[in-house]
Amino acid sequence: MTDAVVDVRELRKTFRVTEREEGLAATLRSFVKRHRKDVNAVAGITFRIGPGEVVGFLGPNGAGKTTTLKMLSGLLHPSAGEASVLGYVPWRRENAYLGRMTLLMGNRTQLVWDIPAADSFRVLQEIYRIPEGQFRSTVNELTELLELQELVHKPVRNLSLGERMKVEFAAGLIHSPSVAFLDEPTIGLDISMQVRIRRFVAEYNRRTGATVLLTSHYMDDVVALCKRVIVIHRGRLLYDGPLADLAERMAPYKIITATLHDGAASSTDLDAYGTVVSREEGRVTLRVDRQVAPERTGRLVNDLGSRLADISVEDPPIEEVIDRVFTSEQTTVSA
Amino acid sequence: MVRYVRLLQLFFRTELQYELEYRLNLVLEIIQTVVVTGTSVAAILVLFSYTTILNGWDLSAMLVLLGCFYLVQGFGELVLQPSFEKFMEHVRLGTLDFALLKPASAQFLVTVRNFQVVQLAQMGLGAIVVAVGLSRIPSIGLAEAIGFPIALLCGFGLIYALLLALSTFAFWFVRVDNLMALYWSFMDAGRFPVDVYPGWLRVTLSSAVPIGVAVTVPAQVIAGRLDPLGLGLLMLGTIAAFVLASWFWRLGLRSYTGASA
Ligand SMILES: Nc1ncnc2c1ncn2[C@@H]1O[C@H](COP(=O)(O)OP(=O)(O)OP(=O)(O)O)[C@@H](O)[C@H]1O
Ligand SMILES: [Mg+2]
Repeated sequence: MTDAVVDVRELRKTFRVTEREEGLAATLRSFVKRHRKDVNAVAGITFRIGPGEVVGFLGPNGAGKTTTLKMLSGLLHPSAGEASVLGYVPWRRENAYLGRMTLLMGNRTQLVWDIPAADSFRVLQEIYRIPEGQFRSTVNELTELLELQELVHKPVRNLSLGERMKVEFAAGLIHSPSVAFLDEPTIGLDISMQVRIRRFVAEYNRRTGATVLLTSHYMDDVVALCKRVIVIHRGRLLYDGPLADLAERMAPYKIITATLHDGAASSTDLDAYGTVVSREEGRVTLRVDRQVAPERTGRLVNDLGSRLADISVEDPPIEEVIDRVFTSEQTTVSA
Repeated sequence: MVRYVRLLQLFFRTELQYELEYRLNLVLEIIQTVVVTGTSVAAILVLFSYTTILNGWDLSAMLVLLGCFYLVQGFGELVLQPSFEKFMEHVRLGTLDFALLKPASAQFLVTVRNFQVVQLAQMGLGAIVVAVGLSRIPSIGLAEAIGFPIALLCGFGLIYALLLALSTFAFWFVRVDNLMALYWSFMDAGRFPVDVYPGWLRVTLSSAVPIGVAVTVPAQVIAGRLDPLGLGLLMLGTIAAFVLASWFWRLGLRSYTGASA
């Protein structure tokens, strides 16, 4: 695949941090002699993303997601490794590249607090040299998609967090970038605003064919938007493949939920069928090995007979899979 | 180049709109500027009621000098002070990232981004004081007429270069507000010609802190006390200072990694 939009090979970033102990004496000592420690924020990751893909970039706090996105957008120099985005080396920060990509950060704003966003848009138009006609139609389209009508004329400081994020999206996409790095774009937003942002990203990707790499701690974002996920942990790649296969690869078990008619689930002994995860009124949840799941389900149906009201076999919830991945030290699995 | 001029206009206009929203504040600031400028003019008038010449500077030249001081200080407070303060905030919060993501000079986008439009009043008053001083001088030669604006522009350039270099330390130390405060207090010393100060202070004022140069030289040109060679050196020095400070800034930028988020 030579037409990859994002091509990352063995990318690494090591931060050198100065450790300082508490207290005045320690501070004075550190003035003379500094304790330095290396933090391997990104410890050699390799992946490729094709044009138009929406990829979820997952990992626990401190995994190295933001650091990776910063390297890909040219803000940080890697310590080692290579990357090319749209054929450019990001950290050379060529104007031609910067004009075709965007980095949106959910916890930071590029908008000026005191002035309405519409004024910031004008500044961006000048910076990106967007022709007037194109500028108008892009602003109109973004206004329609994000329902910005009133918002862009209010000073940014008067907007709610969710409203500000919508305007932030418009500002970040005003130059119609072909690649968008979204770092936790839905952080802190309420459910309905999250849904709207998700819908917008999906629609934007559909309309423009832009390639999107997105990080989020909300699995709903990922499930709604990304067919493919890349999972990293402690700067290393743990999984790269279809979201649908993540559970199969990373969680070798299934969840069987059986609902009983007589509400006597609490007394019925089901330990023989698998590990009982929870027992509520009439409902038992079992964890069983993936391979034996069909057979156990069959036995359950057989043995419980008419006492069984309902039974389901599912992959564990995505959050649980992810959590498993992060808490267990696994080696790289690639699909 | 045209794009940068247009951007500058945009930056200025948006800030103007913002400040116009706080009309009372605007009026108060203008009154304050008038009072402060008026007092220093009065102080000089009082001084010259006892003497006609101060270290070779007569009243007209002193007025031109004072006017230059307000022009240069006004310029500093109009765009440099607000922009550099914002710049340090960007470093602290990590929002400098956004300037670095733009296909344009990050130095430009950051260092002339913010305006305190009210300070135009200070510059306006400075210009008036300069004009009054000039009107008292019987004849001004062509060389002086050309040299004066050039020297003044060099003054602006020097102040910019100095502030740029000082603020660069923010990349390593994050909090450098004190350094900047120190600068502003030195600035005040520029109200008088550098040659009235004792030797050691004169050297400090005009070399380490080029305020002395920025303010005194334009006035010297008018007073016919600067030769073409001096003016040439000033221009070269300004360009060198600008190039050097920009280089230093880019060096600092390289060690900037952004606040972890
Ligand atoms: N500028 C920096 N200086 C020193 N260490 C840093 C810096 N930026 C990040 N780190 C460290 O690198 C590691 C990875 O950080 P990074 O911000 O990439 O994580 P993340 O995956 O984005 O986490 P989160 O989900 O919390 O945003 C962390 O241990 C962090 O402390
Ligand atoms: Mg992060």
